[in-house]
Amino acid sequence: MTGSAIFLQQIVNGVSLGAVYALLALGFTLVYGILELINFAHFSVFMVGAFVALVVLQAFGLQGQSVVLHGAPLVLVLLVALVVTMVASGALGVMIERYTLRPMRNVKGPMAMITTIGVSYILFNLVLLATNAQAINFPDPMPAASYHVGGVVIRLKEILIWIVSAALMVGLNLFVKRTRLGKAMRAVAQDAEAARMMGVDVDHVVMIAFFAGSALAGAAGMIFGLYYNFAQYSIGYTAGLRAFTAAVLGGIGNVPGAMLGGIVIGLIETLGSQYIAARWADVIIFSILIGTLVFRPAGLLGMLAPNRS
Amino acid sequence: MKRFAALSPRTRQMVFLVVLAFLLVFPFLDTGQANIDIAANCAAYAALALGLNIVVGFTGLLDLGYAAFFAIGAYAYGILNSYQLHPAWSSAWAPLAAIGFVAKLGVGAAATVHFTVPFWVMLPVSAMIAAGFGVAFGAPTLRLKGDYLAIVTLGFGEIVPIVVRNWSSLTNGAEGLNGVAPPSVFGHSFGINSTPYYYVGLGIVLLLLFISLRLKPSRIGRAWMAIREDEIAAGAMGIHTTRLKLLAFAMGAGFAGLTGTFYIAKLQTATPDMFDLPVSIMVLVMIVLGGLGSVWGAIIGAVLLQLLQAWFLPELSALVQALGNAVHSPFLSNLELTSASELIFGIILVTMMLYRRDGIVPASRNEVRLSFAQQDAAVSRGALPAVERLSRACAQATTAGAPAALAVRDLTVKFGGLTALKSISLDVPAGGIVAVIGPNGSGKSTLFNSITGLVTPAAGSIDFAGHQLIGLRPDQILRHGVARTFQNIRLFPNLTVMENVLIGQHTHLKSGPGGIVLGLGGVRAEEREAREFVLELLAMFGNRLIPRIDQGVAQLSYANRRRVEIARALATRPRLLMLDEPTAGMNPAESLELAEQIAGFRDLGLTVLLVEHKLDVVTRLADNVIVLDYGEKLAEGPADVVRRDEAVIEAYIGRGAVNA
Repeated sequence: MTGSAIFLQQIVNGVSLGAVYALLALGFTLVYGILELINFAHFSVFMVGAFVALVVLQAFGLQGQSVVLHGAPLVLVLLVALVVTMVASGALGVMIERYTLRPMRNVKGPMAMITTIGVSYILFNLVLLATNAQAINFPDPMPAASYHVGGVVIRLKEILIWIVSAALMVGLNLFVKRTRLGKAMRAVAQDAEAARMMGVDVDHVVMIAFFAGSALAGAAGMIFGLYYNFAQYSIGYTAGLRAFTAAVLGGIGNVPGAMLGGIVIGLIETLGSQYIAARWADVIIFSILIGTLVFRPAGLLGMLAPNRS
Repeated sequence: MKRFAALSPRTRQMVFLVVLAFLLVFPFLDTGQANIDIAANCAAYAALALGLNIVVGFTGLLDLGYAAFFAIGAYAYGILNSYQLHPAWSSAWAPLAAIGFVAKLGVGAAATVHFTVPFWVMLPVSAMIAAGFGVAFGAPTLRLKGDYLAIVTLGFGEIVPIVVRNWSSLTNGAEGLNGVAPPSVFGHSFGINSTPYYYVGLGIVLLLLFISLRLKPSRIGRAWMAIREDEIAAGAMGIHTTRLKLLAFAMGAGFAGLTGTFYIAKLQTATPDMFDLPVSIMVLVMIVLGGLGSVWGAIIGAVLLQLLQAWFLPELSALVQALGNAVHSPFLSNLELTSASELIFGIILVTMMLYRRDGIVPASRNEVRLSFAQQDAAVSRGALPAVERLSRACAQATTAGAPAALAVRDLTVKFGGLTALKSISLDVPAGGIVAVIGPNGSGKSTLFNSITGLVTPAAGSIDFAGHQLIGLRPDQILRHGVARTFQNIRLFPNLTVMENVLIGQHTHLKSGPGGIVLGLGGVRAEEREAREFVLELLAMFGNRLIPRIDQGVAQLSYANRRRVEIARALATRPRLLMLDEPTAGMNPAESLELAEQIAGFRDLGLTVLLVEHKLDVVTRLADNVIVLDYGEKLAEGPADVVRRDEAVIEAYIGRGAVNA
């Protein structure tokens, strides 16, 4: 491959990876925008989502890469798996909110954040124990078709990931911008107390935000599994931290910002690994995180949530 | 456990001495090296927990990269006590060789330097190196809001082990440092016997325990807790919040660095994975279990979790497996409970947060209730001593500087597109009382927030006693003698009445961390005097607060909380006292009582700026009344004149009332 082809190829890879981060970052941003809470449990919801998708795909009789589907059956299987994963992850997020975070809502300081760390640890270790810490082979029913565009290989897999991610993000954006519930969500993010006085059911809005964020995290988990062909208890942590960086980079609380941040972080990871060294990729990403927070806390696109103190 | 906190100090001292005596003879009980080793590890984690408790428990900063400082201290010792670095020998090394910090290996041109910096030197040096990293890392990031800090420290905690893994020439990478030399005393190496390490560990815990216990009820400890409880109010009380947070962060890092050196000297090897995120989380679980902010809790939490991992889970696993073998259950005989320890950590975090946020050993309130005789004495002495002290402070300040007059000129404040204050000018003459009134949302609190540095105005000037206040931090403004109360009361809810008012004296106390830990005479006298002044101030409110000095302010009535907040503001010895609706929530009798007291402040020489809704209080007190409406000055003048002003009546009651 020529130099420019390598570069373009890494861009393709980076965008795919970035789509996963962006989906995950949206959950951070939704919850932070409304509750000003960094939800560490989100890391684990993503990971659990990957395993839910794995189980659903296996239930269709797909094991490893042996079974390849085409046409309508492929679309149907993936769609069913996606919907089940999103609903299950969303429900998990709602349960986490209802039983561990709602009682903490009016507690000041780092208490609620510590609770989310605890929840994350519980999920993480349950999966670790259940899988014996092994990486599990993720079913891949997609045909290995690929397209060569000017020396760059784009796999069918990637095209599907882009389409699904874009659809989910556009859907979320429309939901937040156009629907009544989305408007209520933005109102709560601005001022929960005022929104409550205007008749907004804040608990309901928070629940919807957790559901939507967690459902997207589940979708991201499934995409991750399909893309890398494995699922493991530890995937939540690395991906979660990068997605959080993406949310901060884009401007936390800002929905388009999370998408932009995800893509940027995905590109930095692939290009950084290509041109600097993979082992330093994390250092680069965390330096961006710290640098953004220190020098431009509002992120690239600015914070939409006001700075309540 | 709760009962332990309720024991008298004397009984607690006895319990402590008995436990300490047991710990001192423990190695002679002949329970085997393995148990002594477990005990030494308990000590290491207790030391770590004490450090994190300062950061998270006292100051309320969630630090998820704490293990990074542990790593820094560990590698500092490891690198300087192994064969990892071996620069070529030159005569410049000779002085270090003479004091035993390095040794010369080989002869001639091939000779290299072998580092052998003594353990006892490295203990404080590692603490300082780690604290230095804490300062370097904390200085830019501690300005951030608390929840951002968590994620930034998490990032830092990731970066350090990665750097350690990748910088092989310095750290030997993922393989880790090997052959780290053990400590020695007078040429006798500690070797691999656990007992000397146990005693060193115990000594370290006692030292850090002592430091924590000394700092907690001091000027520094109170400032930390004030930041934890309400950072804005802490700044308004004169606490330089960034600097104090940095001190907490550096101190925690120092504790971790020192412990790292101990830990690595004991293990004689260091690998990067010993300092990954799970270690930071484990220490966090320890202090959450023990009780955030509880010094004894940190130690007990650390010991419990270490015993859980090193002793209870393996024993239980063995038991369950034996049972499994007996009943031929392959599931039970293969069950490895030790791998579930992190699951247990998660469960502990969630359970404690939901059901017992104070931990198993709740942080003690360091206040002792006054005896009835003392209460009587304090009340019957009355407010005179406080009055004297305050008027002396005012007199000193006035002779020292320009008169305490406030001059606001053309002040404009904008929030986005909204203009909250439009070109407001007002004067508060030295020794005068000026009241600001106006409907809700007219900009009164914004005016207060601009004067005290919480809001940055778009234009205008605020001059107090010859100082331009715009652009100063709240704590700097307080140092110029401007103190305030808040409309919605911003006390430090989990602290006592005594602690709240003591925090008001922050800028007038001089004790630094060193003096506090050493318990210097000056520090103790200063603290005694500060407490006396609190009693004198509280005596201004008769017996309303004196019997309650040991109570958390959250338990007080609304009116009493207002009084505590005023006492806290007075404790700063201000020249300009700004009261934001001081009588809100008080009945008419209480309101007039407070009005009398405020009039008394003026007689001391204080200048008072007041926001108040109760017009009888305003009429009683104010020389001059300023009426704000929609951010503009509607009227100004003596109270009875302003009361008849048509525009004012319209703003307050509406046009219909004027016509009627």
